[in-house]
Amino acid sequence: MSEVLNYMINGALVGLLYSLVAMGFVVIYRASKVFNFAQGELVVFGGFLVWWMVVSLGLPLWIGLPLAFVLAALFGLLIERIFFSRLVGESVFAMVMVTIGLLILMRGLILLLFGPQVRPFPIIFPLQPVIIGDILIPRALLIGGIITTVVGFALSWFFNKTRPGLKLTAVAEDHQVAISMGISVKRSVAFAWVLGSVLSTLGAIIYLSGKSLSFLASEIGIAALPVALLAGFESIAGVLLAGIIVGTIQGLVTAYLDPVVGGSVGMVFPMIVMLLILFIRPTGMFGWKTVERV
Amino acid sequence: MNFFRKWAFASAAAVALAAPAQADTTYNIASLADFTGPYADVMKDLAGSRHSAVAWWNAEVGKELGVTLAIKDYDHRYDAAQVASLWPGIKAELNPIIALGVGAPDATALAGRLPSDGIPLIMSTAGYGFGWKPDPWVFNPRATYAHEAAAFFEWYRKEKGIEGPLKIAVITSEASPAYVDIGKGIEKYAHGATDQVELVEMVFTEVQPTDLTTQLNRVLKKGAQVIDVQTNTAAVVAAKRALQALGRSDVPIVMSSHNGITASARALGGMAELEGDYEVYGMAMPTDEATEPKKFYDKLKADYAMQGAWTVPTVMGLNQTLVALRAIEAAAKKVGPDKVTGQAVRDALLSNTITSAQTFGVLSDVTYTNEAPFPTSGITVNVGTVKDGKYVTAADGVAVPTIEKW
Repeated sequence: MSEVLNYMINGALVGLLYSLVAMGFVVIYRASKVFNFAQGELVVFGGFLVWWMVVSLGLPLWIGLPLAFVLAALFGLLIERIFFSRLVGESVFAMVMVTIGLLILMRGLILLLFGPQVRPFPIIFPLQPVIIGDILIPRALLIGGIITTVVGFALSWFFNKTRPGLKLTAVAEDHQVAISMGISVKRSVAFAWVLGSVLSTLGAIIYLSGKSLSFLASEIGIAALPVALLAGFESIAGVLLAGIIVGTIQGLVTAYLDPVVGGSVGMVFPMIVMLLILFIRPTGMFGWKTVERV
Repeated sequence: MNFFRKWAFASAAAVALAAPAQADTTYNIASLADFTGPYADVMKDLAGSRHSAVAWWNAEVGKELGVTLAIKDYDHRYDAAQVASLWPGIKAELNPIIALGVGAPDATALAGRLPSDGIPLIMSTAGYGFGWKPDPWVFNPRATYAHEAAAFFEWYRKEKGIEGPLKIAVITSEASPAYVDIGKGIEKYAHGATDQVELVEMVFTEVQPTDLTTQLNRVLKKGAQVIDVQTNTAAVVAAKRALQALGRSDVPIVMSSHNGITASARALGGMAELEGDYEVYGMAMPTDEATEPKKFYDKLKADYAMQGAWTVPTVMGLNQTLVALRAIEAAAKKVGPDKVTGQAVRDALLSNTITSAQTFGVLSDVTYTNEAPFPTSGITVNVGTVKDGKYVTAADGVAVPTIEKW
């Protein structure tokens, strides 16, 4: 029984890590209706910023990490200024295509700036796991899970209760309507990219603490995709729940089905669950329902 | 004036007559490389060692034979589609008698067409079970990763005086067919050598694992005594961090060449992190010890403009190039220096043993048969480790056991 609980807890914590990355998808989608294909690359870029500050420049964590966040925010702003500020009012398809271009561009940029070598990522959180009886919890994932939950609820409150957050929500509804209400769509989209980039850097810190960093780390973007889709792309708090569901299923399947089947069923199973749910409810669990008035 | 004219004419005639005896036949080698893809960071070493080995051969072997070799690099970005699109141009431009590959994309893109093109391809890596087919045109200088791991398991078990079978766990991934093949090979070996090893679990994970603490805790509870990670450095780092988190420094990780001690230590932040861990492969280890391969490397560095440092990629470049050069040498001796073709080189590969002495100890004796694209018997591996923070050889010349085809 404790073994099952162990896999469930660890799975849920991994799922919360996916939620954090998925929040990057959601905040950008909410502001611009754009599904950002380059989300994984944003995580890698954020990871390299941390590596640059802490390992390469040798700055202490308390200086290096805030600086990495500032640079990530500036990078998010730069992306919006160069690409998306010019696309306000254009079709969603055009913007999605730009994110695919951004993915390719960022891969090249990362290789150009940092090279293809595998780099040691600093140990941000202690390695020693938390042991409760027979249950073993990796400390980085536990702290990451707490941070993700706090960030998730804070963002949810921001988007649903504060004036600037509600403005962003209005932008997510319809760009033209938001403009007619005097809301700056460009500023909202820029804020979303800054937030998305900062969240990705936070995701990189939790994901990579004590491990290694290369452009392969962008795979977490794919792993987070079913979480964002399952939540419905619009609800931040929903992403937390979707992450826990996906992570727990993945943890149990990896533990009990993988050794029997002899393959990565754990990686495929969340996708199957996600597809099943989307067949029943295409907007995801917490996606907005559009009310058509005639 | 007349005298000088006669003298000049006579001299010119003498040079002209002597010329055919001195003229070398030039053949081309296609060097497939990855200067802009995932292996760009190690390609300077790998490609550099190819070039200097060819320069050495031209000066010290080819000159006597009447053969000169030219080598040209083609950047394929480690991409099978790029290899396939480049290949017709390479053939038209170079008409090579042999090609040197980097990894799976070369083999994948070219294996089907090399027999009709009549050009053998020599890889720099260990072999794969899925390539274990008769009548090969793609050759690996080493046996499969599974063969190399099996040799390590048997050596380690004996070294540690373990009575029963050695309990092993394999960390692998379905991200690449090569990684899956490593697992399958070890599984096959374990089934046939129950007195030697017990595979407690094959852990499948992502190519960049999120966290392996739970998985490692599980396999350690099952009694795993060695963790095999022959996929990539990210997996080695994740496995090491999990072992450190669990406070288990008594269970070593065994790696291969491409994700070996030096590469993984860089990714972990220092050699000391891998104290007591191992790497295993069937070629020379680039330690600081004064070995024959190191002496050969030093010679290439001093006399033949070796660009690469003394690293695993350099040794990989050397191993494939030396096999190619010795095969060309054997072909030239057999068919004549002016009649060497790709087919003749392949025939030479299949009918001659390339001795360890011929490769200056970079490889053990290599004998190919028509049954496999890699040597399957009579081969040995070397084992490297970190002792007191220093990268050293733990064992050399360890025999590779026989594994049935999988």
